[in-house]
Amino acid sequence: MEEQIAELAAQVAALQSSAATTNTTFAETFYYLTIPLMIIIHAGFLAYEMGASRLKNVLSSGVKNILAFAFMIPTFYFFGWWVYWGFPTGLPGAPGPAGISGIEYANAIAWGWGESAQYMGPNIADQASGVFFGAFALFAATTASIMSGAVIERIQTVGFVILAVVLGSFAWVVAAAWGWHADGWLVTQWGVHDFGAAGLVHAVAGFFALGVLINLGPRIGKFNADGTANHIAGHNMPMTVVGLMLIIVGFWGFLMACVIVPGEAWSWFADKPSTIYGTPITLSALSFNILMGISGGIIGSWVLTRDPFWMMSGALAGIISVASGMDIYYPAMAFVIAFSAGIILKPCANFLENRGIDDAVGAVTVHGTIGLYGVILLGVFASGYPSLQGEGAPTISLMGQIVGAVVFFLLGFVPGYVVSLVLKMLGMLRIPEGAEIAGMDEVKVPTHGYPEGIPAPGVNLAPGE
Amino acid sequence: MFGFPYETADWAVVDGAMFVGWGSALPGICTAIAAIICVGVLVYGQASETKKTARYTK
Repeated sequence: MEEQIAELAAQVAALQSSAATTNTTFAETFYYLTIPLMIIIHAGFLAYEMGASRLKNVLSSGVKNILAFAFMIPTFYFFGWWVYWGFPTGLPGAPGPAGISGIEYANAIAWGWGESAQYMGPNIADQASGVFFGAFALFAATTASIMSGAVIERIQTVGFVILAVVLGSFAWVVAAAWGWHADGWLVTQWGVHDFGAAGLVHAVAGFFALGVLINLGPRIGKFNADGTANHIAGHNMPMTVVGLMLIIVGFWGFLMACVIVPGEAWSWFADKPSTIYGTPITLSALSFNILMGISGGIIGSWVLTRDPFWMMSGALAGIISVASGMDIYYPAMAFVIAFSAGIILKPCANFLENRGIDDAVGAVTVHGTIGLYGVILLGVFASGYPSLQGEGAPTISLMGQIVGAVVFFLLGFVPGYVVSLVLKMLGMLRIPEGAEIAGMDEVKVPTHGYPEGIPAPGVNLAPGE
Repeated sequence: MFGFPYETADWAVVDGAMFVGWGSALPGICTAIAAIICVGVLVYGQASETKKTARYTK
């Protein structure tokens, strides 16, 4: 009898060990797969902004976007990951109540040297750090891509890369530490809830781009002497529209990466997934609300524009408008909110254009304005929801969401404006007028995007050139 | 109608539906509004496209 019990106990232990291994492998694979899905976002932005460029600038737009990705990964490795863990409670980086933040904690896990290097490289005992780092690094790359499209056809390559690093490895990371991390002061003190990063990724990146655009100025020929705007058509609208669709494909990975899987030492729950705040969520909720968000945004944009570029931008806007509350919105409500975002999208873009801002792809509006719209609307509809796991947790409120929106705006706009102003003073922001007129590909890229027979660089000039 | 659908603002009491409006008329109202939007947009779209194509009618 005792032998049988011992054998049974051994079998149970073996089963538990096997289940734990399976769960750990699942958790690691879950985040690992979000990384290539989020690279599809980058592929989409690449196609989107290359298509939106005139023929004379198409390759240089691509070079800029690809370089942003390449610099984002190592700089996020060097210090972005450390910033995220170090400053959730703000300056000077004190530890928070969850015990997973503060400079001391960040020093222990996020530097690429000393003892902490064990968590920043291959380690058989750590199947989480690398995939979490990868997912966050791709969020960073997304922010750089958002800014990238807005500034095409006149920005200097190195100046742009510097801006991308400031945005992707610092500005949005601070926003994530404050408004996403369970110890973030916006969460613990104001109950800010931004599950899908409408504010802390999209709005930060969108308003960072606005700060840059103010110093960068419009493309030659964009505005007439009386201030009226000309439409500068990209060389390949179908490529742009397909790029936008690719971004939406990648968003599934982006939002999937916002879910914390169960059963691991770092999970909130043993038996159910959660948001990064430890509040419950299901992938079914995402499925319902992403799809309804896409649809509502497209339909809303179609009503006003009939333009496939704005319809696909409307799809993005639809998702972004409901991203903050994708865990708790009812699908039909998500559809209605996304529809309203699609409706206001083009008028908001026109508002900026009428003030002399040349945002080549509408990034400030799609990501910035609609991002904040979504953050604030959640405060209208979901006030009273606990924004964190645990008894006595702060609750979502309209005031809290407004405070969050203001902070996200400032975290984007201020560094974007200041750093681009410094670059402008150093002569590193905008290419010379002659080079802009000749075309950036002619000046900077030693190859051609298309064979002979297609209009040569210099032919497809905008009014005023 | 809006806000947390349970009496106590604590996730520990939630073991089922957790969306905004659960237990009220809000989901039905939103579904009706969404459906009306779909139909309304199609009606508006048909009318405006008919107007645009009318000038090409022989």
